[in-house]
Amino acid sequence: MTVWTPKDDGFADLTSHDTFSEGVPHNTFSRMRREDPVCWTDWDQGKGFWSITRHQDITEMNRTFDVFSSAQGIRMEDQTYEEYLARRTFQETDPPEHMKTRIKVAKAFSKPVVAGFEQDLRDLSNQILDEALSETDFDATKAIARQLPMLMLGRILGTPEEDLPWLVEKGDALIANTDPDFTDHVLDKMTTDEFRMMPFNSPAGAELFQYAKELMAHKNATGDTNGVLHLILQPDKDGNTISEEEFRNFFCLLVAAGNDTTRYSIAAGIQAMCHQPELLTQMQTGGDALWELAPDEIIRWATPALYFRRTLTRDFEAHGKTMREGDKVLFWWSSANRDDEVFDNPFRVDLMRSPNKHMSFGQSGPHVCLGMWLARLEVRVLFQELSKRLKSIEANGEQKFLRSNFVGGIKELPVRVKLN
Amino acid sequence: MKAIWKLPNGEEITAEVSDGTNMMQAAVDNNVPGVVGECGGCLSCATCHVYVDPAWVEKTGVADDFEDAMLDVAEAERTDQSRLSCQIEASGELDGLVLIVPQP
Repeated sequence: MTVWTPKDDGFADLTSHDTFSEGVPHNTFSRMRREDPVCWTDWDQGKGFWSITRHQDITEMNRTFDVFSSAQGIRMEDQTYEEYLARRTFQETDPPEHMKTRIKVAKAFSKPVVAGFEQDLRDLSNQILDEALSETDFDATKAIARQLPMLMLGRILGTPEEDLPWLVEKGDALIANTDPDFTDHVLDKMTTDEFRMMPFNSPAGAELFQYAKELMAHKNATGDTNGVLHLILQPDKDGNTISEEEFRNFFCLLVAAGNDTTRYSIAAGIQAMCHQPELLTQMQTGGDALWELAPDEIIRWATPALYFRRTLTRDFEAHGKTMREGDKVLFWWSSANRDDEVFDNPFRVDLMRSPNKHMSFGQSGPHVCLGMWLARLEVRVLFQELSKRLKSIEANGEQKFLRSNFVGGIKELPVRVKLN
Repeated sequence: MKAIWKLPNGEEITAEVSDGTNMMQAAVDNNVPGVVGECGGCLSCATCHVYVDPAWVEKTGVADDFEDAMLDVAEAERTDQSRLSCQIEASGELDGLVLIVPQP
């Protein structure tokens, strides 16, 4: 059995995507939390930045959105104002502007609306597992984790199933734009600035824009109410409708952010089952009490969004350091989620962990994940159905990680299963 | 000020809350089950939804437009007493405030 442990020497280069190809450098984050919780990093590809690594600090700063602004970009990379305007979604706005878009889409992703998808998700999960578990040795990311969010995306968008592989491929090219397995235009190795006005600096953004535009026109023309997109196109109580630009940016966000995060949560959950065999028995016997809590623990373990960046609107002091107006500040959710001040045994999965104040959804701030109820439901249903069928599951070869310091994910997860 | 949360199981939690604290934070600080506050009081999640006891509705005021829209997102049924508790700030005037936590 292969148990993954962090391999870094405690001083990993956080600016290097290659660092993360070896998995998240947790030894580095543990040291930073202990010794240097507000840590400056120089960067040869752009302006340097501060890293915030303790749970409590991120919680406090994240809610202080007037000082820690999202409205100059949310990734490490610098953007010109022109690029920012062309590429931004409502993720890259602050309240109250953020709220204007959020309230248009919040209902479609609310817990009660999302709960209506449960049976559909269960059917999809079983369809995926019938296929995947017909083999004993397989790549669990490809055969299971990638499939469910992709098929679910189709239900949300109300798009034909045959379009889905194309959409997911484009979504991957956007968000995994630093991994050559997912894009021909690797962000930190590009020699052109021709795509700089497109979402994620990627030509896939333009293709998704075009798809979204045609989809919106089609839905408007035919009164198509499949999926939840029609809810987003409805006028609000004052008669305001979403603009085409807002719609297409939101569409890109759904395809990119709503897809691989759940994929890598499922993959990390399966990884945990391989490393901690007792989890399978717990899933099989834990009942409702376990399933109320387990999805959040799996999502804590996964932490697919490694960090989001903010930009300071004024000088700010913390732990004896003065961060200056205009400085970039990274909130490392991946570090906060292993903070032993908040989590007992943070490097173990405890499916009954309660309370579980993980920050995988960016909790404690205005940008808390819009899709969190859907993510929790997908994770719960998939693991309920998977655990019912398994007698055992174990790692069966080397795990490979996404080459990205922004999205943490196991892109190859070879497993061997025995069925009940 | 004193605040009282009435839970769906009939129990009550009473706590002293400092002026200026929002009632979501006060609930979280006092481990009131059913009030979560995932967005930290930024009006983005509706997980701090409560019913204000009718006797207190006038003093707690009404929801603004954003809060009104987000109340539609809450899990439990919305009523005329529905508020997001992160938008209610503790003050001397609210001493004795009674908030009813919705059935999950």
